[in-house]
Amino acid sequence: MKLKAIVLAMTTALAALALTGCGDDGDTGATGTAGQNGADGQNGADGRDYTAVNQWYTAGQATVANASETSVSDPKGRAKNIILFVGDGMGVSTLTAARIYQGQQRGESGEENRLSFETFPYSGLVKTYSSNQQTPDSAPTMSAIMSGVKTKDGIVSVSDDAVRGTCTSGQGHEVMTALELAEIAGMSTGVVSTARLTHATPAATYSHSVERNWEADSNMPQAALDAGCHDIASQLIDFPYGNGIEVALGGGRSYFMPSSETDPEYGRAGRRNDGRDLTAEWTSKYTDGAYVWNREQFLAVDTSSTHHLLGLFENSHMQYEADRADDGAGEPSLAEMTSRALDVLKQNDKGYFLMVEAGRIDHAHHAGNASRALQDTVALSEAVRVAMEKADSDTLILVTADHSHVFTIAGYPVRGNPILGLVRGVDGSGEAAATYTTDSNGMPYTTLGYANGPGFGFGNDPMNTDSYRPDLNLYDVTDVDYRQEATVPMGSETHAGEDVAVYARGPGAQLVTGSVEQNMLFHVMNYAADLAARAEANQN
Amino acid sequence: MTLSPAHTWRNLATLFKAGALFGLFSANAFAAVAAKADSPICPAATLNGSQHFGVQYQLSGAQHGTLQLLRRQAQTAYFNPGNGVGEWWNFSVAEHPSFIRVFAKQQRRIDYYMGDLRTLNIHVSQPEIESFAAAHLRSQLRHKGAGSCADSQVYEGDYQQVHYRLLWSDSLQLPLQLTTEHKGQIKQWQASKIMPAREVDMLLSRWQQFADTDYADIGDNETDPFLAQMINQGFIEHSEHAVYNSNGQPMSGQHIH
Repeated sequence: MKLKAIVLAMTTALAALALTGCGDDGDTGATGTAGQNGADGQNGADGRDYTAVNQWYTAGQATVANASETSVSDPKGRAKNIILFVGDGMGVSTLTAARIYQGQQRGESGEENRLSFETFPYSGLVKTYSSNQQTPDSAPTMSAIMSGVKTKDGIVSVSDDAVRGTCTSGQGHEVMTALELAEIAGMSTGVVSTARLTHATPAATYSHSVERNWEADSNMPQAALDAGCHDIASQLIDFPYGNGIEVALGGGRSYFMPSSETDPEYGRAGRRNDGRDLTAEWTSKYTDGAYVWNREQFLAVDTSSTHHLLGLFENSHMQYEADRADDGAGEPSLAEMTSRALDVLKQNDKGYFLMVEAGRIDHAHHAGNASRALQDTVALSEAVRVAMEKADSDTLILVTADHSHVFTIAGYPVRGNPILGLVRGVDGSGEAAATYTTDSNGMPYTTLGYANGPGFGFGNDPMNTDSYRPDLNLYDVTDVDYRQEATVPMGSETHAGEDVAVYARGPGAQLVTGSVEQNMLFHVMNYAADLAARAEANQN
Repeated sequence: MTLSPAHTWRNLATLFKAGALFGLFSANAFAAVAAKADSPICPAATLNGSQHFGVQYQLSGAQHGTLQLLRRQAQTAYFNPGNGVGEWWNFSVAEHPSFIRVFAKQQRRIDYYMGDLRTLNIHVSQPEIESFAAAHLRSQLRHKGAGSCADSQVYEGDYQQVHYRLLWSDSLQLPLQLTTEHKGQIKQWQASKIMPAREVDMLLSRWQQFADTDYADIGDNETDPFLAQMINQGFIEHSEHAVYNSNGQPMSGQHIH
């Protein structure tokens, strides 16, 4: 307790300087001798021996104590299973705001809350740049995570030898993904996303494409088709490794349907010009398989007898979590999809690999709509919590993001200020101020905002002609549909280039620390589960 | 563009003046079409109650232009042949309409799903969309008697400082002629052509074939020259702050959009 003694001595000395004439420090016994502990640690009435009673101090102390007793050096291959969670566009500011939002939804102040994965013992920072862009999109970032190889923007699990959009340039340069290795190793695999299953992030787990937008054959130029490139949706069904992907749940139904068929929920035509009905192919290919497209069907699936489950719950992306209850056909939550995916995957004694993406955080940010981004982040936290409860201890769980967004938490709001609200600072006594904090023109502003995006400009609304900002007193800025202000006018808010976080628990988690390149995460998974060696062994 | 049941026609004059009805009337969108003062075309009796037809409107007076309204059951589209921009609503699931913005010259589409419309604060009224935004207005005007076409009625009156004269088709449930006068400025929308079902089908089928991009995916495709151009022209976004709450109710009556 040397530190405690030093702190106590410092406190006592400072107090003596500042508060001459104050009495005893309130210890139950005599004041401790400088340089030594107080008597029994119960002398906190006057706050001097805060090392014993101050919640911030003691909580931090306990965390370090726990960590100091942990010395992990898991050997290669200790992890039987891997679950990778990706929050698309879930930068650090999104995590901070989401944790406050979740806490405040529970009636708490919010700042002290922790998202489920923020309790993980290991974390680090991840450098997200792609091989050709300082600020990347989801295609190269997820490719890096899944394959260990950074590539160019727009390219999915093909090395940067390829040229985006040029089919032949990528042929022979496909890079093996962790999911593919897991299948070759005899493990079960799953892909879950609230975006289209053919969208860049989930696509990078199972497909290889020099253009992320080649989601159906109708999206591809004839030259690419003639050169032998395949659309992303077909690659999910034609997956060549192991016994095929066991679980695929998400959106993007129309990319699996022929143009001659209409969507059961919307009546729109399918996007496939090749006439293939990929959902029918799934059930004919896998005799133990099932295809579902709404929540009722999904919950009715017998996971003990269904070993290949395809769920396509929307024509395009699934609904935002904020809108999910309003979906006409009904959609499962990310947590429900994660739970049932694990029910299917856990039946394999050789283990499993599961990737779960909260794909719409990114879309809400692009729209400049913080509320939906935060609600989808909380939904991801709930999905991780389910995995924490269901996964066995021999499971490595990683939670990360592919990239960030230009999303900011600004001003000096008082503790507990509504995270979606206007900034209300503190007064001279440190208490909540009576009025909102204002800008240099006397106009209030929100805590959350964007550096660019569609939240610039105010239609025909009256606005302050000095600041060219609207009077936000007139708006319900906490409304789910409210669009936060943006500094630079852009049709769509952009990604950001700063590092994202990664959290880890389970065998091999100790490798996640410091500031790392994004492609290193593949190597963490490969080391933890010894994927390459297991794949090689299973082939012999 | 935000439209609510309460607001849609309240700002008719503003919408037309600003060239902003559903985003179709960009400043340079109006071809120099000569104003026609003749009578509107009357729909054939066979169209009575039909939900599969089109009406071409001619705008004359202070502004000129052409606008086509296309109807196919629960689908209603507005198309400006001058700039090739269309806006296509589908109310098959009435509570959750879907919306497609069409760019015929580029043969491209942008598709908006329920969540996209909500993030953009677009809350629409199916009756207003299907009635050329005249359903609420009609209820605010005085009935003046039968009109010049069969199954038509004349309404007239002042609403929100604008004087309106409306020739309403009972069979189409649409205006055949709508004249507005505001501060001495007169504009007139007049039905100039009834479009047969096959012409509507041809247009909608053609649009269906256009390359489509989900609105949600625009952020990941800003290197697409078309999307970049559309964003710069302001077609992609256009949204005020939360003028309406999540129930589609106006948050403040003083904001006019």
